[in-house]
Amino acid sequence: MTTPKINFKEIKDWTIDNFFGSKLGILLTLFSTILIVYFITAIFSFLSAAEWEVVSINKRLLLLGRLPEEDTWRAWPIFWLFCFIFCSSIGAWGNPKKRELLLLLLAFLMPTAIFFSMTYIVHIFMTIIIGSVSYLGSKIIRKTTYSRVLKKSLISLWILLIPLAFSILIIGGGPQSNLWGGFLLNILLASVAVVAGFPLGILMAVGRSTKLPVIKTTCTVYIETVRGAPLVAWLLLAWFVLPKFLPNLFGLNEISVVIRAMIVLSFFASAYIAEVIRGGLQSIPSGQLEAADALNLGYVDKMRIIVLPQAIRVVIPAIVSQFIGLFKDTSLVFILALTDLLQVGRIIPEQDPKFFGKQIEALLVVASLFWVVSVVLSNLSSRIEKNLGIGTR
Amino acid sequence: MIQVFFFIFVALLGIYLFSRAFQLELSLSHFRSRAGFGLSHTFLVDYTSNDSRWVAYFTGVVNTIRVCLVAIFLTTILGTIMGVARLSKNFLTSRIAWTYVEVLRNTPLLIQIIFWQIVFLQLPQISEAITFGNTTAISNRGILLPWISDNGGAQIWFIFLGIVAAGSLYLSYFLNKREDESGKYFSISGKKINGNLTGIIFFILVTVVTFFAFGRPVSIDIPEIIQNNKGTWMQSGGFDLSPEFAAILFALVIYTGTFITEIVRGSIQSLSRGQTEAAEAIGLSKYQAMTLVILPQALRSIIPPLTNQFLNLTKNSSLAVVIAYPDLFMVSRTIMNNSGHALPVFFLILLTYLFLSLCISLVMNLINRRVTRIGT
Repeated sequence: MTTPKINFKEIKDWTIDNFFGSKLGILLTLFSTILIVYFITAIFSFLSAAEWEVVSINKRLLLLGRLPEEDTWRAWPIFWLFCFIFCSSIGAWGNPKKRELLLLLLAFLMPTAIFFSMTYIVHIFMTIIIGSVSYLGSKIIRKTTYSRVLKKSLISLWILLIPLAFSILIIGGGPQSNLWGGFLLNILLASVAVVAGFPLGILMAVGRSTKLPVIKTTCTVYIETVRGAPLVAWLLLAWFVLPKFLPNLFGLNEISVVIRAMIVLSFFASAYIAEVIRGGLQSIPSGQLEAADALNLGYVDKMRIIVLPQAIRVVIPAIVSQFIGLFKDTSLVFILALTDLLQVGRIIPEQDPKFFGKQIEALLVVASLFWVVSVVLSNLSSRIEKNLGIGTR
Repeated sequence: MIQVFFFIFVALLGIYLFSRAFQLELSLSHFRSRAGFGLSHTFLVDYTSNDSRWVAYFTGVVNTIRVCLVAIFLTTILGTIMGVARLSKNFLTSRIAWTYVEVLRNTPLLIQIIFWQIVFLQLPQISEAITFGNTTAISNRGILLPWISDNGGAQIWFIFLGIVAAGSLYLSYFLNKREDESGKYFSISGKKINGNLTGIIFFILVTVVTFFAFGRPVSIDIPEIIQNNKGTWMQSGGFDLSPEFAAILFALVIYTGTFITEIVRGSIQSLSRGQTEAAEAIGLSKYQAMTLVILPQALRSIIPPLTNQFLNLTKNSSLAVVIAYPDLFMVSRTIMNNSGHALPVFFLILLTYLFLSLCISLVMNLINRRVTRIGT
């Protein structure tokens, strides 16, 4: 799109070209204007009548579910850790564009505006400080000779993020896993599923692309079976029969529903990730394989050193979009009677007669939280794509 | 060598899982017993709670197929329109399509389903239903649309019309081919009538003639809202689009439409710009350029990912359980809860979805073969 300079003729030309170029153009402009006016009036009339008390009273429930009051502090270090790694990564890798920075600002300000409370003003202040210090710090380190060390340590921190988050949540007698809920649960479920499903996905993808018939058949059957049924069906299966299939050791057959959901989501994610990685494996030119053979590398070394690093590099953006899909799908745990964000958003207007008929307000807040995370992630994925130079070669 | 170890491992795992599974009830014999629950939507099936669980399950399958077919049809149209709009030179139009994709693709489908259900339930009550000249009534009991009703012999007439439709398709195919080969065509007072038009005229003529020949087999059934003598409001006649069906349909169409928009946009963009310019150069209008030059070529790269979206849509239709639309998943969940035997029912679900997916893939592969053959 051409941005017109302050030049009257150009503006005029641009306007005519855009809106009144032809009969069809005029018709489209008219139709679009009507549509936009209709939606804007609808949104305004909704907003003028909306009452957000249903959300402001239940902030904690939406974010953390039934996590006990004395354990609320645990959420903050996890958030700060994430903020530290995220902001350092931005400083270390990208020169973020204005648009991307604006989006991040929106992603930070929108939840803050919804969930702001004076009790946590210090915490929010801390978050801002941690974010900006780590961003500036890594930007400075990036220009020194230590930039490789910084990047490597950041990558290992990303991998360690989930175990660290869990240890913060559990350390020193944390809350029981069936008390996890709200938005925290959605994020935990999606992250665990991708982190646990990733190695299994790689194995399955490699297995499916080998020439060994037994392994190939097994992997294919696994992938296609898991992809064949919808996620809710698998979750329901976990609800009914998963405990009966686990050995009667260490109380494994009485695992909590949250852990069951994590197991199912991991297996589910692994099948989809396997298909994505298989696409990456197929994109490796055969010259690479021949070169590896010429070097007399064994199969394992060939895969580990030559093929997989290239294949995974290509499919990172696709895996991020799988993560987005999975993140949206974590709302399906309603079928296990878990109180995730959406479930809380559905229940609270029904609990209190004062809030009866305020479902849409609660639902909109829930949707906007999901939306912010998804949009930031999908921008991240296109950013990674650019940084890796995929598609430009 | 690795294979042997792997085989042993898989075999051991399999034996373990099977030994566990055989401790459970695995037969589907309980499906023959009485279902004992009612279903709110029974489409084409006469189901009552006294029927067996098989009938209940079958009703669920029919409901799933019904919502999926309508949704696939509508979402393809919506996605194509939005995909073309996304590339429109008109700033406003392309922004509308962009906003649609960015907002709705990134919110979970489940939220959208619940949102539409709330919207449909907040419509006015039946006594204050919104009507459009007595043909359509919108209330929180659903949307009533005019529909056709059987005056006897409608089924035979429809089958006959199907044959006629196939015949007129063949007629236009034949006439087009003849025109391509020998250059002959029909003309009325010097105006050319091409094969497609002849086919359509033939079809309409036969339809009108047989409509009277069969003794008016169908009539249009206009919905009515009446208050009976006890003061209760009743709705009768017409086609009742229930709030649940409408909610799941809207959500599926709009959510999947965003993905199709992106597919269509990507495919059109991947065509070289020369195609549009060439179409302009030979004097085609924008509409003609789009339908005759751009879309037919873009279709080749659209169809494979489109198939994937259709499969996703079919699987996503199981989310109808959240608003109690009795699709196959909800019926099976009820059966699981009632009987307590989850595993065999689950395998049945798996097989049914596999069967539906295979059907969609088969049809789409046929279309794909036809599309890729054009011009080669």
